[in-house]
Amino acid sequence: MSQNLWCGLVAALLFAGSAYAQRVGDPAPAFQATDSNGQTRRLSEYRGKFVVLEWHNHGCPYTRKHYESGNMQRLQREWTVRGVVWFTVISSAPGQQGYVTPQQENDYLHQMNGSPTAALLDPQGDIGRLYSAKTTPHMFIVNPAGVLIYDGAIDSKATTDQADIASATNYVSQALEEAMAGKPVSTPTSRPYGCSVKYAH
Amino acid sequence: MLDRSDFRWAWFFSVWATWFVLSTLTSAEGPADPHVKVELISEQDAIVPGKEFCLGVRFDLEDEWHTYWVNPGDSGEPPRIEWALPAGFRPGPIQWPYPERLSSALFADYGYEHQVLLIVAVRPPPGLKEGEGHTIAARVHYLVCRDVCIPEQTRLELTLPVTSRAGSRSDVQFEAARRRLPQPAPDRWKISAASLADEFTLNLIIGKLAAAPQFYPLEEEQIENAAPQTTTTIAGGFRLHLKKSRHLLKPVSRLTGVLVVGAGKAYLVDVAVSQPSSKVQVQSINK
Repeated sequence: MSQNLWCGLVAALLFAGSAYAQRVGDPAPAFQATDSNGQTRRLSEYRGKFVVLEWHNHGCPYTRKHYESGNMQRLQREWTVRGVVWFTVISSAPGQQGYVTPQQENDYLHQMNGSPTAALLDPQGDIGRLYSAKTTPHMFIVNPAGVLIYDGAIDSKATTDQADIASATNYVSQALEEAMAGKPVSTPTSRPYGCSVKYAH
Repeated sequence: MLDRSDFRWAWFFSVWATWFVLSTLTSAEGPADPHVKVELISEQDAIVPGKEFCLGVRFDLEDEWHTYWVNPGDSGEPPRIEWALPAGFRPGPIQWPYPERLSSALFADYGYEHQVLLIVAVRPPPGLKEGEGHTIAARVHYLVCRDVCIPEQTRLELTLPVTSRAGSRSDVQFEAARRRLPQPAPDRWKISAASLADEFTLNLIIGKLAAAPQFYPLEEEQIENAAPQTTTTIAGGFRLHLKKSRHLLKPVSRLTGVLVVGAGKAYLVDVAVSQPSSKVQVQSINK
């Protein structure tokens, strides 16, 4: 094999490594994070349960659509009551929109009546990059076997208008209902819509 | 149980809520957003019965702010226009100028900075009377972003008289916007596409180019927007490598989009995609 080809191959592998993103059907990447109450959370602790990851930025108009309408909190309550683990993940870097201290996040959850299992603080953006989280919101679902079964938008209407929520198909609820009933997920991925995640530059 | 203080609070709240709702509604109606000015303009200064004419929604964006193309890329949302036209007036689709790639390390969006004019052709009915005025209104929903995003909507209107003389004036702003509209690909170009494991290849037998080509798909989530689009040389042209989107689960049968081959040179591409099984075809292009 010529040297050029080797160089090309190495470059391709490096690119593939850096840009590789898990796909639906792959094992969900393992992570460890500190939540807003200082508790360490490891994805591996929740094997045997469905885990929802919700990328969050309280200032983003698309996130506000789902919080000011109460839609996100309703989903959090509905699914955690049914045994689902729900992590809100905040990957905004310090100084960027959506960045919060643990206390600010707890105040926000109290004020908005939010009820995720925990809010994971990811100011370095490590979990966000691991999952290639693009937008707020961007939703992922991990099944009890640790496999990613959904990666995409919260619902089918990519707008900031609260009035669109009622007529949209909620892909997260649909995927959870189907997976819990032992059926294949009919929409396992979709274009996540929203603001870009405010990672450190 | 409610006591008097609860009612007082309820009253305060309702007054505040009314004020709040009214103030946000009026700000949405006026030119309140400092980051963008949105205007409705007409290319003709009068309507000729039955003769198509062009309207435009013009965005003047503050520096560093942008709005979006029909496929916004990794985040954002394209502008939407809801027309309120007089009876019998029929609007066409938005004619989207080719976008800029607005990329950061991890993402790429497709949109516009500084200024963009979205042209819509409108056909008025034939039976209009000379001297009448007709009011054309549009509610425009749009998102403008810098590091943060602001959704806005605004109602715009203009009134045009009816005239029988055939006006054929073309406006400088409209002409400039038309130069950014993608053109049909030249007949001598041969373009084909193939689906490989992780990428689409666009084989462009189009001769030499001054700038590296960029492909902007019309449909969302066909390609990884942020992945670099690399080119390799093939006989008679180039092969453009497009990394497949991870949100793509179904095979793509056609690639439709805009190929930009230098400033002001954008062409429509709409080609069938040969699937991984049809290796023969890929190899024959390779030679």
